[in-house]
Amino acid sequence: MAVRDELRQQLELIGAIQPALHLPQNWNYEVDSALFKAYLHPPHDVGGQFDAPGVYEEKEEEQWELNTYVTCEVLGWRGIWNSEERRRRADNDLGYTLYLGIPYYGRWILAAARMLVDKNHVSLTELIEKIAEVKARYAKQ
Amino acid sequence: MSHTHSPGDGGGDHPAAPMVEEITDFEVLEIAVRELAIEHGLFTAEDHRRFTEWAESIGPAAGSRLVAKAWTDPAFKKRLLEDAVKACKEIGIDWAEPTGFGTPSDYMNLRVLEDTPTLHHVIVCTLCSCYPRPLLGMSPEWYRTTNYRRRLVRWPRQVLAEFGLILPPEVEIRVEDSNQKCRFMVLPMRPEGTENWTEEQLAAIVTRDCMIGVALPRPGRTADVHPVQKARRPVQRS
Amino acid sequence: MPSNKPSAKNRTRAVEARFKVGDRVRVKDLPNLFYSRTQMYVRGAVGTIAALTYQDVLPEDEAFNRDGRLEQYYIVRFRQKDLWPEYPFENDSLQTESPERWLEPVDS
Repeated sequence: MAVRDELRQQLELIGAIQPALHLPQNWNYEVDSALFKAYLHPPHDVGGQFDAPGVYEEKEEEQWELNTYVTCEVLGWRGIWNSEERRRRADNDLGYTLYLGIPYYGRWILAAARMLVDKNHVSLTELIEKIAEVKARYAKQ
Repeated sequence: MSHTHSPGDGGGDHPAAPMVEEITDFEVLEIAVRELAIEHGLFTAEDHRRFTEWAESIGPAAGSRLVAKAWTDPAFKKRLLEDAVKACKEIGIDWAEPTGFGTPSDYMNLRVLEDTPTLHHVIVCTLCSCYPRPLLGMSPEWYRTTNYRRRLVRWPRQVLAEFGLILPPEVEIRVEDSNQKCRFMVLPMRPEGTENWTEEQLAAIVTRDCMIGVALPRPGRTADVHPVQKARRPVQRS
Repeated sequence: MPSNKPSAKNRTRAVEARFKVGDRVRVKDLPNLFYSRTQMYVRGAVGTIAALTYQDVLPEDEAFNRDGRLEQYYIVRFRQKDLWPEYPFENDSLQTESPERWLEPVDS
C-alpha cells in the first residue's frame, strides 16, 4: 500500500534526524515534500524508530524534578493550563535538539516558563531578572 | 562529544553522587518559575505543598495490593475489569485525589489488562510517558526513554528479552500504546507455588515491572533490579 | 480564560458513536502541523475497534486550549503483521487509542 510504504520511509528519515551543532544545510531555500514532512514531524512521535539495545535504568528523583512535576500539575489544577498544552510545549515546541538533549523534567520546566510568558502572566524581562536573582541568591551561600 | 556530566551514559555501576554545592540551571529555573507563579497568585504555596504531599504518598504498592486482591477474590477481579477506577476505591485509592477531579495529567480512565495463558500485555506510551500515577506512582526512568518508546511497539519480544522475559511464540504479546487519556495496568497471572498465600505475601511478588508487563511475578522475586542513577540532590521526604 | 476542566468521565455523552466493537477501521494520515497524538506508525493501517472509551475534545485542539466538540474515543487493535510486514510472529498485536476524527470505516 502506497501510503504505508511512504510513511515507512518517512519514519526512517525522521529517525535519522539528529540534533547537530553545525551542518551545511542551514537556510535551505528548497525543501522537498519528504523533508518538509520530516521537519514538521512532532518530535515526540518516536514509535518504530530504530535504536540499539540500551540499559534500562532507574533514577533517583531530584528535588527540583519533584518540584517541577508539582508546579506543572498545580498550574493545571488552578486552570492556568491543561496538561495537553504542557505536553505540546514540552514535547513538540522545543524542537529536536532540546527534546533529545535535556532531561525529562527539564522539558517540563521550560514548558512552564514559556507558558507563563506566552500567556502574559509574567513578562520575559521579569522572568529573566528572576532567574538572575535566584542565581545570585544561591551563589552567595 | 565531551561530557561534563553523564546522565544516560549507561554502563551499569554509577559512583555515588558527589556533594554538589553549585546550583544547576534547571534548579534555578524551577525555583524562578515556582516563585513567580506564587507571587503572581497563579497558585499558592499551600497548593504546592498539598500536591507535593499527595505526590509523595503514591507508589506501586497500591497496584500490588490491587493485583493480590484480584487474585484472591474473583468477584473483586470482575469489578476491577469492569470499572477499574471504582474498584481502586475499595483499596483506598481515589483517582479524584488530590484536586477533586483527579490530577490534571492522569485523568480518570484506568483500564486493567488481564493476562491469560495465551495473552501477555505490555504497556508503553510512545508519545511521552503516560502512566497510571495514582496507582503506581511515578514512572521509572527507563519507561520515559526514547529507546523503550521507539522499540517496544515494533520489536516487543527483543525488548522484553532484554528485561529477561522470554515468552513462547504461542503466547500473543499485546502492546498497549497509552497515547491518549486512558491509563493502563497489567493484571498478571498468579504464578504456581503461591497456593494458600495471604494477600500480603502475594502483593510482595507483584512488583512495578510486573504491572507494566516487562516482568512476570514468581515466588522469591520481590524487587525489580535495574542500575540506579544517583540524584545530586535527592527528594527530601517531609 | 483557560478552564479548570472536570474529568472526561463526568461529561455528558455529546455525540453518537459512529463505530462499534468489531468494526474495521483505517487510521487517517492527516498532515502534521504543530501537534498530534496520532502516531505515524499506525497511520494508514487497518485495525479493529476493541473498545469504546470516553468522549473528549481532540488533543490537537486541547493542546491550544480550545474547548471544542466532544468526540468518541476508541481503543483500536492491530495485528503486528499489519503494522510491520516483516514482523515474525503471527499472533502478536498492538492496541492504541484514537478519536473518531482520525478513523475511517473499511468495507470488509
